[in-house]
Amino acid sequence: MQSLRRLLILCRGDSARIAPWLEERDPRWLLTCVIAITAGCALYGGVVGLWRAPVQAAYTAIKMPLLIFLTCSGNALLNGMLAQILGSGLSFRQSAQAILMSFTIAALILASLSPVALFILYNAPPLGSAARSTGHSITLLSDVLFIAYAGFVANRRLLRLLQHLCPTPAAARRVFWSWLAGNLFLGAQLSWILRPFIGSPGLPVQFLRDHPLRGNFYEAVFNALRHLLS
Amino acid sequence: MNPTDPSNPQLPPPIPPPLTPAPLPPNAGLGVLLDSLLKQPSRLVHELHQAKNSRYLLLLALVALAGFACYGVVIGTFSGGEQLFAAPLKVSLGSLATVLICLPSLYIFACLTGAEVSLRGLAGVLVATLALNALLLLGFAPVAWVFSQSTESVAFIGALHLILWLISLAFGLRLLRLFMDILRVSDRVHVRVWTAIFILVSLQMTTALRPIVGKSEHWLPTEKKFFLAHWAENLFGTRD
Repeated sequence: MQSLRRLLILCRGDSARIAPWLEERDPRWLLTCVIAITAGCALYGGVVGLWRAPVQAAYTAIKMPLLIFLTCSGNALLNGMLAQILGSGLSFRQSAQAILMSFTIAALILASLSPVALFILYNAPPLGSAARSTGHSITLLSDVLFIAYAGFVANRRLLRLLQHLCPTPAAARRVFWSWLAGNLFLGAQLSWILRPFIGSPGLPVQFLRDHPLRGNFYEAVFNALRHLLS
Repeated sequence: MNPTDPSNPQLPPPIPPPLTPAPLPPNAGLGVLLDSLLKQPSRLVHELHQAKNSRYLLLLALVALAGFACYGVVIGTFSGGEQLFAAPLKVSLGSLATVLICLPSLYIFACLTGAEVSLRGLAGVLVATLALNALLLLGFAPVAWVFSQSTESVAFIGALHLILWLISLAFGLRLLRLFMDILRVSDRVHVRVWTAIFILVSLQMTTALRPIVGKSEHWLPTEKKFFLAHWAENLFGTRD
């Protein structure tokens, strides 16, 4: 019950009550965040993948929380150093905990939107129908909107928490933007490696595409732009 | 300059007194509940916010289900036959399904505003919103019935029901705004986003449960379609 109460306070964004949690050495709150991210993202990921196939749902349910944990752990050292260099006064552990808490908010928002996503999925033209590309586009568009909203809210909360913790608002903004840039840069590439999430109608259901490490997100965007302009 | 002087322009405006309307009488009956829903909604919303028991929630849910079912009969009179049974069932159960789909996101989005809410209290306010929506639709029922007897256009009668539903819902959603006033929530962006989601889910529900107005060989659709495509098909006679 204590953990549930804390998750609700986290959603409310009461920085004065949240800030002391970063001082705690007790790993229970960290574990609560990890469980919330795993459950929330797995639930939403399961719904996202369900349009393609039940097996894809299981794969995406595993990959969505994995993407978040890999991004957090991959950038943990860099984020901790940036926090100290840019004058936030936060330790490595506190930086990691603050970022994990913002992902927890995003996971809770996505979990709460899962019934709506499931309803959209129920109404989307299925894979076997002639309008399957419409179904794929609708699923993709709604997922992008939901994830963008969850990410936006979670980052706003993170900025507010940093403004409460950092000695100056300028330091808070510097740390926030540096963390965001690093997490987006690595997160985009990791999501490329871990693709597919929804699953293209014409491609087989796979946990990872063949040769997942070949190519990268930015190269793909560059090639797509070049193709568009040529 | 006296810092406590209310004319001091440097001071923020004084905090208004807490909004605590007079409570409802203990174990208020259905009559009192409906009376306060129409005349003094802030009393009812405050009572639901306290969420001492689920009695009011259940009574309001019954009012909403019965109201939607009655309005559904009026919708069914357009086509007659089995639509007289199918339309009320679809309208009332569709509304219930919409509440169940949207309640989890309302709870989290309400928390995001910074408000301290209980799930039961929020469910009560959402059900009260639907109850008011259903009551107003009942008020519109004679108008809708007259038009349903005097036209054969599915597109026209569908659009009319939609407009009446939107007007009623706009009044119903005032309860949610009242609830936010009571909780002194200033940042309402998340609740507005949720309202947009709720309206979209409701509109899609009408397409997912079609036909509600016209006739069909099947009770439920065999083809999945989004509401905009369905409307375009009915309005312009296009097939996608």
